[in-house]
Amino acid sequence: MVRRQVLLLALLALGVAGSAQAEEKKLKACFIYVGPVGDIGWSFAHDEARKLTMKALPWLETQYVEAVPEGQALPVIDRLVKGGCKVVFTTSFGFMDQTLEAAKKYPDVVFAHTSGFKRAPNMATFMADFYQLYYLNGLMAGALTKTGKVGYVAAFPIPELKRHISAFALGVRAVNPKATVNVKWINAWVSPVKAREAAEALMAEGNDVLAFTEDTATVVQVAGRKKVPGFAHYSPMHRFAPDFVVSGQLVHWEKIYIDFLSKVRDGTYAPGKLKDVDYWWLLRESAVELGGQPGLPINPKYVDALKKAQMTVGGKQVSVYDRVMELLKDMSSPTPTFDPFTGPLQDRNGATRVPAGRVMSPQELNQMQWVAPGVVGPVADEPK
Amino acid sequence: MIRFELDPLPRRRKRVGVYLGVLALAFTLAGALFAAYGVGPLEAYGTLLEGTLGDPQGLAEVLRRTIPLLLIGSGLTLAFRVSFFNIGAEGQLLLGAAAGAAVALFLPASAVSLPLMFLAGAAAGGLWTLPAAWLRARVDVNEILTTLMLNSVAGYLVLYLVSGPWRGEQVQGFTYTDEFPGAARLPLLGDTLVHWPTLVLGVVLAVALQVLLTRTSLGYELRVVGESPRAARYAGMPIPRVVLLTGLLSGGAAGLAGVGEVAGIHYRLLDPSQISLGYGFTAIIVAWLARGHPALVLLTAPLMGLILAGGDLLKISLNMPFRVIDVFSGLMLLCLIAGESLVRYRVRWAR
Repeated sequence: MVRRQVLLLALLALGVAGSAQAEEKKLKACFIYVGPVGDIGWSFAHDEARKLTMKALPWLETQYVEAVPEGQALPVIDRLVKGGCKVVFTTSFGFMDQTLEAAKKYPDVVFAHTSGFKRAPNMATFMADFYQLYYLNGLMAGALTKTGKVGYVAAFPIPELKRHISAFALGVRAVNPKATVNVKWINAWVSPVKAREAAEALMAEGNDVLAFTEDTATVVQVAGRKKVPGFAHYSPMHRFAPDFVVSGQLVHWEKIYIDFLSKVRDGTYAPGKLKDVDYWWLLRESAVELGGQPGLPINPKYVDALKKAQMTVGGKQVSVYDRVMELLKDMSSPTPTFDPFTGPLQDRNGATRVPAGRVMSPQELNQMQWVAPGVVGPVADEPK
Repeated sequence: MIRFELDPLPRRRKRVGVYLGVLALAFTLAGALFAAYGVGPLEAYGTLLEGTLGDPQGLAEVLRRTIPLLLIGSGLTLAFRVSFFNIGAEGQLLLGAAAGAAVALFLPASAVSLPLMFLAGAAAGGLWTLPAAWLRARVDVNEILTTLMLNSVAGYLVLYLVSGPWRGEQVQGFTYTDEFPGAARLPLLGDTLVHWPTLVLGVVLAVALQVLLTRTSLGYELRVVGESPRAARYAGMPIPRVVLLTGLLSGGAAGLAGVGEVAGIHYRLLDPSQISLGYGFTAIIVAWLARGHPALVLLTAPLMGLILAGGDLLKISLNMPFRVIDVFSGLMLLCLIAGESLVRYRVRWAR
C-alpha cells in the first residue's frame, strides 16, 4: 500500500516535471458540445473521449463548453480561439455552417466537425459509425422476438438514422424474414418524456424487443421495467436494466481524437491540408464496440437463447450467436469481408438500391434516404 | 413580535434601498453557490465582469443578448402596466420568427425583404396574442393561463413547419429550413455578431412605448385600465379595446424579436428550442424590473443581457455547469419578488 503510494507520488512528480518541461509546447484542443456533459448519450461520450485523450497525450491541454445551442457556436469559438485554442472540435451536425464560417475567420486554427459534409482547407470531418453494430444487434433482436415485431424509438429521420434502422432491419430479417421493425419518431435527441411514450406505445402494440437511437437511457429503462429485452445506444446502459439489456452500440471517439491530434502535432494535419480529411471509422479501427457496456458484447443472460436460435447462412444452419461472433470478428479485422450494405439490396418499396456485388460507399451511406424492407411506419423524405 | 403592515405610500428612498438590498442578497446567494461549486465568488464575478464589460468582444456579446430582451421587455412592461400578464412572449417570438422566415423563404428576395419580414413578424406575434386577449376582454378568462398555453402550441407549430412542409432541401433530413438569401439577412456591426438594425428598433420601441404611455390620451386610458378597471369603466373607457391593443402591441414586439433572431443569427428557421433560448421568459424579469416604465428597459435589458453573456462566460472560462445561469437568474427573480413585498409592507416591532 505504502509502496504503491510512493510509486504514485513518484509518477506524479515525474508528471509535474514533465509537464513543466513541455509547458511551452502544449497543444490546446477545445471541444464544443451540443448537450450537457451530464447526459448519457452523445455529448457524454465525447467528453469521456476527451478525458481519455488527455490521458493518452501528455502534451495536450483541453477545454470544453457544454450545452451550446446550435445558433451560438460562433461566439463560443471566438472566445475559445482567443483563449489559445489551436484545434476546435464541434460535435454536432447543427454546428456545420458556423464551423465553416469560423474556419474562414481563423485560417490558422484547425477545425474538425462531427457528422457533417462540409470541409475546408483547415476544417476536417469525422464520424464513428454504428451501422455494422446495428446489423449485429438486429440479428439478436430477430432471434429474440416471439411476436415478430421489434420496436424502434428514433430521434429524427436523417440519413444517419435511416442507415441505422435499415442495418438493424436487415439483421432482424436475416434471422426472421417475416419480422417487422416498427419505428416511432420522437423528433428530439433528448426527451425522456417522448421516448417513454414511444416505448410504451410500441410495447402496447405487441413489440417484444426494443431498440432506439436517441440520447437518453429511457427506452432500456422502460423496457426493463416491463421485462422486455432492449439494446443500449451510445453509452454503457447495461446498469439501467442488467437483466434486459441484450447488447448495444458503444463509441470510442478517443480513437479518432488521439489519431487526429497526433497528426496535428506532427504537422500532417496543419491548416491548409484538411480539405480531404474525413474520418469514417468503424469496427476495424475500434472506434465503435458491440455491447451494453465495455467488454461485454452480449449479455450472458441471453447467450443460451441466441445459441439455440438458428438462421440460414449460405444454405447452412448456424446459431445466431455464432453468426454474430463470426461477423464481429470479421468486421473488426484489418480486412473485413462482410458489410451489411452489400448488394443486391432493395428498399422497402421494392426499388433496387444496390446492385448485386456492390457495397455502398461512405458517401452513399451518408446521404441514404431510403429504408430497408421490414421497416414499418412513416419515414420522411423517402424516395418513391 | 414582528408584525407586517401595509405601507400605503413607500418612500422612494425605501424603494431604492430595498431593491439594492435584495439584489445584493441575490448576488451573495449566487456567490455562495459558486463557492459550493469550488469557484471563489470574487473570482467568478471578476471573470464575469472582465469578460463582458472589460472586453470589446464581450461587450458585443452582451449587446447581442440584449436585443431580444429589449424588444420583448418593453412590450411586456407596457402589458404589465395594463395588468395584462402576457406570459406568452416566447410563443409570440416563435410566431414572429416563423412569419419572418416565410417572407425570407417564399417571397422573392429584394431590398424590401427585411422590412417586410419585420412587418410580418410583428403582425404574426401580435395576432398570436389575440385569442388570449379576446378571451380576457370578452369573457374574463385569465390571460396568464391562455398565453402560457399558447407557448406550447407555437412551439409545436414551428416544429411541424421545420420538420414538415418547410424542411429544407439541403439539410439532409435535419429539422431546418434552407438558409435565407443574402437580402433577408440583417447586417452586423463591424466584425461582431450584433445585428444592429434590431438593436436600433428595440431602442426606438422602448422610447416610443414610454411616450405612448405617458404623453398620449391612449396611454392615459392604458394606465387607468391597468390601475383601476372600475374607474375606467365608470369613465366610459373601451376596456376590451384597450386590452386587445395591449395584446397586439406586446405580442408584436415579441414577434419583432423573433425576426431579429432568425434574420440576424440563424439565417434559417430551426427547432423552436434553438431559436430563442428562453428570451420570452427572461424578458419577464426585464419587464418586472422596469416597474412599468418601458424606457427603463433600456437599463434592465442590458442588465439581464450582461447576466446571460456572463453566464456563458462562466460556462466557457470556468467550466461551470450550464444550468448555473438558470439558478442565477432564478435567484434574482425570487429576491426581486420578495423585495416587491418588502416595499409594500413595513415591519413593526410590537409587544
